[in-house]
Order: sequence, then structure tokens, then C-alpha cells
Amino acid sequence: MKKFFAVVKREYVQRVRTKFFVIATILGPLVAVGFTVVPALMIGLKTGGPARIAIVDQTGNMYERVATEINNSEERPQPQPTMPNMTPPGPAGARGRAQQTAKLVKADYALERVDLDGRTLDEVKTSLDARVASRDLDSYLILPPNLLTGGEPEYHARNTADMITKEQLQRSISQAVRSQRLVDNGIEEKKLNELSKPIHLKASGVGGEEGKGEAGFFLVFGAAMLIYMSVLLYGQVVLGAVIEEKETRIAEILFSSMRSFPLMMGKLIGVSLVALTQLGIWALTFVAVSVSVTGFSFSMPISPLLFIYFAVFFLMGFFIYATVYAVVGSMVTTTQEGGQLAMPVVLFLIAALFVSFNIIRSPNSPLAFWASMFPFFAPITMLVRITTETPPAWQIILSLTIGFATVVGLVWLASRIYRVGMLMYGKKATIPEVWRWVRQA
Amino acid sequence: MTNESKPTLVLEHVTKRYGDFTAVDDLSLQVRSGRVFGLIGPNGAGKTTTIRMIVNITVPDSGRIELFGQAMETRLQDRIGYLPEERGLYRKMKVGEQLKFFAELKDVRGKEADARVDRWLAKLQLSDWKNKRAKDLSKGMQQKVQFITSVIHEPDLLILDEPFSGLDPVSVDLMKETILEQKGSGKTIILSTHQMEIAEKLCDDICMINKSRKVFDGKLREVRRSFAQNAVALRVEGSDGSLNDPELITNVRQNGDDTEVLLTADANPQILLKRLVDANVKITKFELIEPTLHDIFVAKVKESA
Repeated sequence: MKKFFAVVKREYVQRVRTKFFVIATILGPLVAVGFTVVPALMIGLKTGGPARIAIVDQTGNMYERVATEINNSEERPQPQPTMPNMTPPGPAGARGRAQQTAKLVKADYALERVDLDGRTLDEVKTSLDARVASRDLDSYLILPPNLLTGGEPEYHARNTADMITKEQLQRSISQAVRSQRLVDNGIEEKKLNELSKPIHLKASGVGGEEGKGEAGFFLVFGAAMLIYMSVLLYGQVVLGAVIEEKETRIAEILFSSMRSFPLMMGKLIGVSLVALTQLGIWALTFVAVSVSVTGFSFSMPISPLLFIYFAVFFLMGFFIYATVYAVVGSMVTTTQEGGQLAMPVVLFLIAALFVSFNIIRSPNSPLAFWASMFPFFAPITMLVRITTETPPAWQIILSLTIGFATVVGLVWLASRIYRVGMLMYGKKATIPEVWRWVRQA
Repeated sequence: MTNESKPTLVLEHVTKRYGDFTAVDDLSLQVRSGRVFGLIGPNGAGKTTTIRMIVNITVPDSGRIELFGQAMETRLQDRIGYLPEERGLYRKMKVGEQLKFFAELKDVRGKEADARVDRWLAKLQLSDWKNKRAKDLSKGMQQKVQFITSVIHEPDLLILDEPFSGLDPVSVDLMKETILEQKGSGKTIILSTHQMEIAEKLCDDICMINKSRKVFDGKLREVRRSFAQNAVALRVEGSDGSLNDPELITNVRQNGDDTEVLLTADANPQILLKRLVDANVKITKFELIEPTLHDIFVAKVKESA
């Protein structure tokens, strides 16, 4: 046991002290923010101020209504160009980010009314074309006289590839036309506003826990992303740690001092503590920033019990997948080989997410049960079940037991392969060979 | 064979197979305490496998290993110091921390471990390198650090596999001295090396294995004597007509200044000496030739090829 702790200590201290760890810890959140905010900025930024649009109103009475709709269109929710996999867990962060992005996308329009004033439409077009060409104007709209009865408005722009503007203009004009048609059919303006007010669907669980499902979805999604991210980040580190003694040829000295199981376990725990330290620093930073930004009103978006489930299943997921990297590390001699071999296993995690969509709809189906017992799916699928319709305690306990037993089993397997592999230096193992080693070692 | 000391290590009919390949075949040997035991043999003879079984990295398929009078078990590993032939250091770890880690793996910790690290670094003239990373050390220095890892816990049995490879002559002498010091303080040492001159100087007992089997073992002096041919190295001035007697002498060969005389199997070298004295030849050298370990090694390997 003391030797086990010596290994844990070495793995932890040697890694946490490196410049790489310090830099990664500082840069991590910056990169994450960069990945979410920068693309949004790039899409949302209108280069060079508001879009200047001239509207030629041949109907004579639609300009006001269309202009209002165009200016109001900013208030409508836009398709959000966020990167879903970088979204931090918890609805608070996600929602805040979404609003932020909406603001960024908010496009400014400078509208200008152009009347024919006795000129022909072609004359007006020619003069507007000239203004667009000279960059005095970005685009212009022509509302035909028969707009209300099916006439098609024309849009002339320097850049017709600007989908966002085109889409918004089309929607605004449709809305304006629809309203005008209603008014023309005798519906009062005031009534019209009342009638077209959108509704908001309020979902609540039967147990009276309002909004649990929504928080649950974010929780599960957050857990999946967190496991995925940390496995991607630290799987390689586990792999490297296992291979290190092979590459440096220290393995034989270690094996003359201790058994391979505590060695392997020590490595896994040591590296995992490094990962948890880093994630912990990030989480605390996130909370601290949230608190300082929103005043002191930061509240846990989920219940404490749910948070504990989240933490436990995250740990289980992390360890299961990290251990896979340990097993792979025990079979190969270089890190590059290992990375390729471990990749397919991460696909399990993605498969688990797909299965979850099914489970959300029927959380008590046999599929849901078995999926939440299968250790590679359980970290995600069991959380889905807990947040939708909490299964009986024995199922949760069984799932955790199977999961952590899998970790121990995989570590045992890894240590076995490692030891036999070490005794046959430099030899790359084939699967049948590995199987034989496991049996004979 | 005297029984002045109890054996530290006993191997009885030990066999180890990997698949169809028999790495060690029915090997029996004894290593007596407080002595330097040389384990020699060509590459692939089974030395490393034998050592790995002694340090409990692998377990024999059959046969018995007894260490310090007990059957082999994990706990006994702490009393063994092992410098494998395949060895390395954590490249990015500082020398001092590294040694302390290896000490902890052998159940030596805290201040005691720190003190021993300092003592050994000073002894092998590496104190200035304590806070340097291993990768910044020369190969020879790394070798010395690796040696320290095998002795830091003051083991009763020290197993050194090619401890001299990569060392400069000064370091070789320092290493030899250190090994003899360990022996002096009552430790038992198993030395595996291809450098026969060094083995000859350091070892009390010797065991050669080839092709998974033991070829011979015993006290070094007895081994050499048992392989001695009836030969004499001579340096004489004057007539040496006495070397022409075929009854006594089978072959005469010039080796530098010496004349090497191979006597018939049952001839007594004293008779040759007497004849030379009687012939009034001036004798400056008359020495019975014992084969070197090198000669024995080469002869044995050729014999089995």
C-alpha cells in the first residue's frame, strides 16, 4: 500500500509541477471561450456598421409596416451558431452564452424610403444600382404594387450570399404582408397585436419538480461533454504514463520492487488526480467568475442530490475510459500507436449519447435498463434515467458497482498484459498473443 | 566445498518456458552469503530469465527458489537490490527525487531516505547533480545513478547485470571498489557480466550457463584449476635441449617472450624444472599456466556450438 502511494505521489507531483500543466490550466478556459465566442463574433459582426437598405415602395402604404418588422426582427431568436461541445455544463452557462450570442448576431439596419416621384421604376433602379456600386448603399428592396396579392418583392444587393440578411428581410416582409392583409379584412390593429402574441410552452414534471427535465437534459449533456473532453485530454496522458517506463526501460526495476497491479492502479489514480485538480480549478474559476459577473446570486442550477449523482457518474465514466487507455498503453510500445488503438473506444461514448435520446423518451424500457448497466454507457445513460424518471436505488447501485468493478478489472488486465509484455521486450502484441499472456501470466 | 557460510540463495531444478522455448532448463545452484557470485554465459543463455526469477519478476514453471532460508515471496523483494541490464531513469525527473522515489519503492522513506540519497551521491561524486534532470546527465553518470537505485535500501542480496557497461576506466575502478565494499559489509552479490577480466578479479564463485543449462559452477580458483591443461610458461637463457623429450612434452609454442610448454597429461612439471636446472639453464620464469576465465568461456561455448 505504501508503494502504491509512492507511485501515486510521483505521478501526481511530477505532472502538476510541469510548466505544461500550469500553462494548460490557464489557457484551457481562454481557449474554450475563444472557441465559443470567436466564431459567434465572426458570424455576427457586421463589418462596417449597419446594413444600408433602400426600400422602393410601389404600394404606397406598406413602407411603415415593413420597416417596423425589419427593425423588430432583431428581437426574434436567431439560429445560434454556438459550438455545442464547448458548452459548459449547467443551464445557467448555456443560457447566458445563448443570449450573448443573440446580441452578437443582432444586425443593424439603416432603412431609407425611396419614392418614384414621377420617375419610371427602371430609372430609379439605375440610380440605386449606381449607389450600391459606389458603396453608398448595401442593397435595395422593391415592393411591387401588387405585393398584397401575390406580387414578388425584389432584392438587389452587392452581396446576395448574405443569407442572414436575406432570410430576415423575407421573414419581415411576410409578416408585414400578413398583418396588412388581416387589417384589410377588418381586424383592428390592437386586436392584431394581441392575436399574434407568441406562446411559451411551460413544461413541468408530474412530481411537481418544475423544469427538472430541462436541467436534467443540460446535466446529462454536460456530463457527456465533460467525460468526452477530459478523456480526450487525459486519455493520452494515462497512455503516456503507462508507456513511460517501457520507453525509459525502468519497468524491470519497478517490477523487482512491487507487483504490477498496484503500480498500474497508482499510475491511473495519480494521473486522474492531476485531471481532477485541473478540472477543479476550472470549475472554481467558472463559479467565481459567474458570481462576480452576476452579483452574488449564483445558485446551483440543480439539486444537491442530482449534483452528487453527476459527480459520481462523471468519475465513473472518466475512470472507465481512462482505464481503456491504460490497457492500450500496456499493449503498445509507442504513444502514437496507442492513440490510434484507443480512438474506437471513445466511440462508445458517442454511441451512449445516441442511446440516451431513445431513453429520454422511454426511461424504463428494457433497452434503458440494459444500457444503464453496460459500463461503457452507464455514466451517460444512468444519468438520463435519474433525471427523467429516477430508477429504483438498487439499479443505481448495481450500475455503479458494475462500473467500478469494470475499472478494477481493466486495471488488472492492463497490469497483466503490461508485465508479460515487458518480459518480451519491444515486441508489439497481437490480440491473440495478449489473450494468451493474460491466461498464462 | 566448505560450509563456513549458509547459502543466501538456493535454486533447485528450476525450469522456465516461454511457449515452446525453454529459457532455463533444470538449473540448480547455490549462492553463499558474503561472496561475489559470477553468473556468466553467452547472450541468450538464460541469465536474464534466471535473474528475473530470483527477483520474483517471473515465477518458475517448476523447481524451487529459496532466498534467505525462505521460499520466495513478494516481501523478500525489499531485501534484494537489482540493477537490470535493461535500465533507465525518468528523464525529466530530478536525480535526487528520482532516487528517493526508488528508495520509497523499497520501503525506505522520509528523512532516512533523504540521508541515504545524499550519502550515495557524495560517494559516487554526483552531489552537484542532485537537482539536475536525468536527461542532462552523461551516460556514465546515469549508470552510476542507476547503480545507486539498486543499493539505496541496503539490500542483503545485490544483483548486478552488466554494471560496468558504458563506464570510463576511472568509474569502472570506483564501481569495483564499491562492489567490494558491499561484499566487505557482508552483502551477497550476484554479478553477471561479459567482461571476463573483471569477473576474474571480483568473483569468488562462478557459474556458467549456456543454452538454458548450467555448464559448470564452483569456486573460481577450483574451476580454473579443473580446466588447467598441464602447461608451463617458461623464460630461459641458454640451451633448452631438454624441451625435446616427447615422453614429457607434446607441444612447444612461443608466446611473446615466453615459451609455452604443453606437457603430456600425466607428466609432472617438477621433472621439467629439475631437468632445466640440471642443464644449467638460467631460468627467469617458470609458471604453471592456468586458463583464464576468458579461455574457459570461449572453449565451452565453442564446444557446444
